Amino acid sequence: MTRHALSMVLSNVPGALARVVVLFSTRGVDVESLSLDPTERGDVSRMDVVVGLPAGRSPDQLVKQLSRLVDVKSVVAVADPARDQIGA
Amino acid sequence: MDTVTGASSLVRALEDAGCEVIFGIPGGAILPAYDPLLDSMKIRHVLVRHEQGAGHAASGYAQATGRVGVCVATSGPGATNLVTPLADAYMDSVPIVAITGQVSRSVIGTDAFQEADIRSISLPITKHAFQVTDPADIPAVIAEAFALAAGGRPGPVLVDIPKDVLAATTTYTPAPPVRNPRVTPAANEIRRAANLIASSRRPVFYIGGGVVRAGAAAELRTLAERTGIPVVTTLMARGAFPDSHRQHLGMPGMHGTVPAVAALQQADLLIALGTRFDDRVTGVLELFAPNAAVIHADIDPAEISKNRKADVPIVGDCKDVLVSLNAAVRRAPVLTSWWAYLDGLRDRFPLGYDWPADGKLAPQYVIERIGTLVGPEAIYTAGVGQHQMWAAQYVGYERPGSFINSGGLGTMGFAVPAAMGAQCGVPDRAVWAIDGDGCFQMTNQELVTCALENIPIKVAIINNGNLGMVRQWQNLFYRGRYSNTGLSTHQRVPDFVALAEALGCVGLRCAEKSEVDDVIMRAMEVRDRPVVVDFVVGEDAQVWPMVAAGTGNDEIMTVRGIKPLFDEDL
Repeated sequence: MTRHALSMVLSNVPGALARVVVLFSTRGVDVESLSLDPTERGDVSRMDVVVGLPAGRSPDQLVKQLSRLVDVKSVVAVADPARDQIGA
Repeated sequence: MDTVTGASSLVRALEDAGCEVIFGIPGGAILPAYDPLLDSMKIRHVLVRHEQGAGHAASGYAQATGRVGVCVATSGPGATNLVTPLADAYMDSVPIVAITGQVSRSVIGTDAFQEADIRSISLPITKHAFQVTDPADIPAVIAEAFALAAGGRPGPVLVDIPKDVLAATTTYTPAPPVRNPRVTPAANEIRRAANLIASSRRPVFYIGGGVVRAGAAAELRTLAERTGIPVVTTLMARGAFPDSHRQHLGMPGMHGTVPAVAALQQADLLIALGTRFDDRVTGVLELFAPNAAVIHADIDPAEISKNRKADVPIVGDCKDVLVSLNAAVRRAPVLTSWWAYLDGLRDRFPLGYDWPADGKLAPQYVIERIGTLVGPEAIYTAGVGQHQMWAAQYVGYERPGSFINSGGLGTMGFAVPAAMGAQCGVPDRAVWAIDGDGCFQMTNQELVTCALENIPIKVAIINNGNLGMVRQWQNLFYRGRYSNTGLSTHQRVPDFVALAEALGCVGLRCAEKSEVDDVIMRAMEVRDRPVVVDFVVGEDAQVWPMVAAGTGNDEIMTVRGIKPLFDEDL
């Protein structure tokens, strides 16, 4: 299992979080921590999540799968999850 | 801007989106929508007998026409009955829009009568799901749903509308057209691909359903003929390249031809277009095409390098990719020895079958004769199992979209409702459902719909009395212990001819080789009703070649225990 931090911007609409979380579950991704906050814009939320991937699975694939979701406005894998902890 | 009900707004939005036919069943929560539907001059409603039939019919319609298919169900069980067709369309990238009624906004979340949270249920099996909470949003949501379903990698989209939103008074504002952005294939990757193609010695076009969805068959043919490179077409791509073409090696994969499987295994270059390296094609992934460089073009970036790392990744619509490659490839590779090897395999290992020892009809023969007599202008659908593989192997496909089946999800019962939907979309073509006796018993109620709605499909039941593919695996891998695979259909329970007549169809039966052509011709002559032909075939026929699950493609067996690529030095 390898740890990766993802930083995402979601549409602030009902069901957006559910779709992201179900994708994690469908693709066998462990969620270690997750935080969701509305931004000042109001129509989008910022989501930070640290996930565990089975060995050999790259975060690139997950980023692409998340990018397919209509309510995901942007998603990037943050380089070093140890340094970039949630809430740090 | 007109004052209308939400329901009228929905019907107008569907008309504006180009919807011409809806497959559905009314019920409490969707009831308001059915009132204005009665007055629509543009939309035909086909009243199905089960919501699953509506979903697969929408998929058959979409695959036969290239347009978005539409199905409608009420809340609760109506909506949950759409789950299988949604999952099916998601796996096979079919553009459908499913509209479901929902309980009124005020009681959502209270376990109200016929309440099911279909938006959540459908999360992993739809591209997107909307729940409309403001009736004024209906035109924009429908326009966006159609654009999402058809755009990029196509797929199913759900629109859930509470009953009180349908009943409310609102205004109709036509939605502005939704544009789907189109990615241009990266020029540097196209150049790298062209160079790899020119310098390859053993290249293969590995063609998937994306080429069919993109309408890129003509561009594929141009590039294939210019380069002389052999072509294999997956189950979802049958017809994307003519079966009669000299460069076509057939279908790869678990039940692929020996030349197609060997071409992938021995290749030094795979040109994979609109395909996803599915396990039914690759066998054990680590043993798949071990010496090949991979050019992988797909409209969905998430498919590229998912299962097999691409050396040249190209994100784009297959048509755009092929147009770019046609412009970039200047020099054809030298393939003399490659073709000598492949032609040798073609001569030595053609597709073939034995007649059953007990004198019964060979199922492959029946399907071969249907393909020959009905011809390549027809549309063929299939369920899932042995008959599906034989339909893929023994019908000659010359046109993209002429074979419609459930590839990814493997949904038994797909054939009849998909044929119904296809026939609605292309009334001038003959539509034949090649079905199994197991599959047929899952969805044959839609023949009532076909009989009443003047949808004259033909159904060929390849009746071997068993869940044939499961039985084949029991024969090969469970020491012939046939646990729960016998269906008693050879004892005529049910009697498919009598059942067909009861459903409002013409029922025919054939159990003799000498009668096969005659019964197919008789079925073709019937134009005013659906026809069901019960072809009683031997129960021991097996699908060959076969790559057993959990083995590499080199271990392909032409018949039980015979592994030409593995045992011989070719």
